[in-house]
Amino acid sequence: MSTVAANSVGDLGRHIPALSSALRPGALDELREWGGPALVRGKRVLDLGCGDGRFALGVAPFATRVDGIDPYPEAIAAAKRNARRAGVRNVRFATGAAQHLPHPDATFDVVILSWTL
Amino acid sequence: MVDALGEVHRVLAPGGILVDARPDSRVPAYAKRRKPRGFQRFGVVKTSRPELANDRASDRAIAHVVREGLFKRRRRGRFWHLVPFSSLAELRNYLSEHLRFVHRADWVVDAATRKRHSNDHFVIRRAVRYELLEALRSARNINKKGNVIQL
Repeated sequence: MSTVAANSVGDLGRHIPALSSALRPGALDELREWGGPALVRGKRVLDLGCGDGRFALGVAPFATRVDGIDPYPEAIAAAKRNARRAGVRNVRFATGAAQHLPHPDATFDVVILSWTL
Repeated sequence: MVDALGEVHRVLAPGGILVDARPDSRVPAYAKRRKPRGFQRFGVVKTSRPELANDRASDRAIAHVVREGLFKRRRRGRFWHLVPFSSLAELRNYLSEHLRFVHRADWVVDAATRKRHSNDHFVIRRAVRYELLEALRSARNINKKGNVIQL
């Protein structure tokens, strides 16, 4: 087991889902625990419950394409903002529910439910 | 939840990987004071009952889709995550407002010790568990002759 630290969180994330990623491990820290970048390298990845894009943007440099879905429009707006700021181009974010995904069958190689289920 | 996992199976290519990661409510979290080297345990923080129920429901949903043959368990593990606070008061505020945890820690140090160190840095150390599941070809991907339909 390893220990993952984050920055001080203050009031973030208690009430606003889009900001709750401040309370979570960093994307690369989580990815390392799951097996490292090889898990997503060259793959099509779906991040369900993506929030503000914490994980999707973190793994985007390794993946072919990353889709992020979240039911909260504010979270998706924050994710798009973060993607623009980071200059990441292989990520798409959309509002949606996990029960009705807008993708054709067999679209993805990896689906992430990070702190979602 | 089972509906959502069914959708995940549909959009995953056969052999694709589902990662389920979430705080491990079966393991207590700990409130700890940062020392120059290491930590001092100050208290134990339990998970709230609604969150325990949610986690159990998630476990049942995963077990169901594995039983139904949609997924195969590949690997699981656990790691620790630190949520940092700049004082004991900030940690207490977090506990009082955060839904995952019960609102008060069970302190393992006396009141005088808590007061003496109230302006030190603290963390909540909590367990995060993960599981990797492989999407299997299910009955709906097999035609009447028993051949696997290429997706």
